[in-house]
Amino acid sequence: MATLLRSALRPLRALGGRRGPAADVWLRGARHGAGLLYPGHIPTSPLQKALLAAGSAGMALSNPYRHDMVAVLGETTGYYALKFLRDQMRKDPEGAEILQKRPRISLSTLDLDKLRSLPEGSLGQEYLRFLDVNRVSPDTRAPTRFVDDEELAYVIQRYREVHDILHTLLGMPTNLLGEITVKWFEAVQTHLPMCILGALFGPVRLSAQSLQVLISELIPWAVQNGHRAPCVLNLYYERRWEQPLRALREELGITDAPTCMSGAWPRP
Amino acid sequence: MATHRSCALWSYCGRRWSRMMRCCRLSGLCSSWPSDPLGARHLSQEKPATETHFGFETVSEEEKRGKVYHVFESVAKKYDVMNDMMSLGIHRIWKDLLLYKMRPFPGTQLLDVAGGTGDIAFRFLNYVQAQHKGKQRRQLRAQQNLSWEEIAKKYQNEEDPLGGSRVVVCDINKEMLKIGKQKARAQGYKAGLAWVLGDAEELPFDDDKFDVYTIAFGIRNVTHIDQALQEAHRVLKPGGRFLCLEFSQVNNPLISRLYDLYSFQVIPVLGEVIAGDWKSYQYLVESIRQFPSQEEFREMIEDAGFEKVTYESLTSGIVAIHSGFKL
Repeated sequence: MATLLRSALRPLRALGGRRGPAADVWLRGARHGAGLLYPGHIPTSPLQKALLAAGSAGMALSNPYRHDMVAVLGETTGYYALKFLRDQMRKDPEGAEILQKRPRISLSTLDLDKLRSLPEGSLGQEYLRFLDVNRVSPDTRAPTRFVDDEELAYVIQRYREVHDILHTLLGMPTNLLGEITVKWFEAVQTHLPMCILGALFGPVRLSAQSLQVLISELIPWAVQNGHRAPCVLNLYYERRWEQPLRALREELGITDAPTCMSGAWPRP
Repeated sequence: MATHRSCALWSYCGRRWSRMMRCCRLSGLCSSWPSDPLGARHLSQEKPATETHFGFETVSEEEKRGKVYHVFESVAKKYDVMNDMMSLGIHRIWKDLLLYKMRPFPGTQLLDVAGGTGDIAFRFLNYVQAQHKGKQRRQLRAQQNLSWEEIAKKYQNEEDPLGGSRVVVCDINKEMLKIGKQKARAQGYKAGLAWVLGDAEELPFDDDKFDVYTIAFGIRNVTHIDQALQEAHRVLKPGGRFLCLEFSQVNNPLISRLYDLYSFQVIPVLGEVIAGDWKSYQYLVESIRQFPSQEEFREMIEDAGFEKVTYESLTSGIVAIHSGFKL
């Protein structure tokens, strides 16, 4: 009986279940400095990643204000998509430079005065206006914790920081409709499971009228632009603050947003 | 054979030594005495930077106190929800069993240390109230004619519904006490309840004050467990009872494996999803592993001066209730 049970437990052991301090060196050592790949890294076993993915998906759906759950979902399910994104970045010269230099967008790294002094219609000006109008800040992005590769951790961090710039590029506000539209664009561009799930399940909370607008106009527009534009993570935005937004949109092939959203956020 | 006897002699000397130490500390003669051979405490004059454990990490003793404070500050709001989720509601049964073991009588003065959100205190009040009501009903049945004074008193509600029992909830963490007070207000507990901010290693109470001292799931977070035990001994009346409900070592190897799997794989994930805090719950499961076994803890309680120390393991040893008397 005991041997049967022990053999039943062997696959459980493979899932990463470990015992107290002696046998738990994998977890213990990793947590306290030895196996950490980057600050804030929490190593997780495959079972933990699966449970986190399921739990965070459920929690994000039931409580949309839990942005940290969306972030966790992205980290635990995005392994292959992040590798694809990283390879895309490596192939492009500007993207490879980003991977090498690892720039970060946060209130401490942005020169707000310089951005404010830029001419009307430039990317920097519009980005600041977007932050002010929607009352968001680039510092509210959660740091990466559950990605087990240091370069991929940077890629997903960059993706999160570029998200607000995508809002600016697409001209989408931060209400539910705008966020879902951006998610569709990102899903086509990055193939991240979190974006795909968000794009498919986000509309559950919409009213019938908004759903109508979404399906008829916004989704086709977002998908078209997503296919047409090159990988948006390959742009070194920190060097392009002075570039006029219109010119950048033309470069990427992004058309103007459908008229239903034009009143939501004043554009030049 | 010789070593056996010398060991027993040594531990006997050690115990008497630590008791003398305590008396001398109280009378202020500590500077002339060398430190305790059992290494239990250092004198206030010399404070070497001793290290202790914080989960599986090694930290200095001052750091541990601050870190534990931060852990409970951040988990306070979701503490009860997480307890229910992690133990699937079984923690309620454990706490009920603690009360059952305590069998308080009307007039009991209870000190609940590390009792932040008030679970034990509320159960105590319910128990004592129910007991008092039962007693009244028995009185009525026994003597059908009440005097007019007794009837008047009943109508004026001058009778103490708790029969003289009082509970003091003491916790080192302000957030936990805040949540406890909110709960008390929401559930309507007012009489017989006091909330005190205090450190288990240095209780703000006089000697010989309480009938029962409880500490539920709190003592493993204390930096110097032996000091907390000695304080417990000090504030209890002679004849008082010490009760501790704490996570302990599982005695069944199969259940131990499953328990470890559940603790290390599932609980931090639950903490992240429900409370948005992975690290606090990682600390929780690690601190459980660092706590001494049932027998070791029993010996520590005996060293503090308690007698008739026994323990009862619940749920195959996942938790244990230790009980000792100050005689």
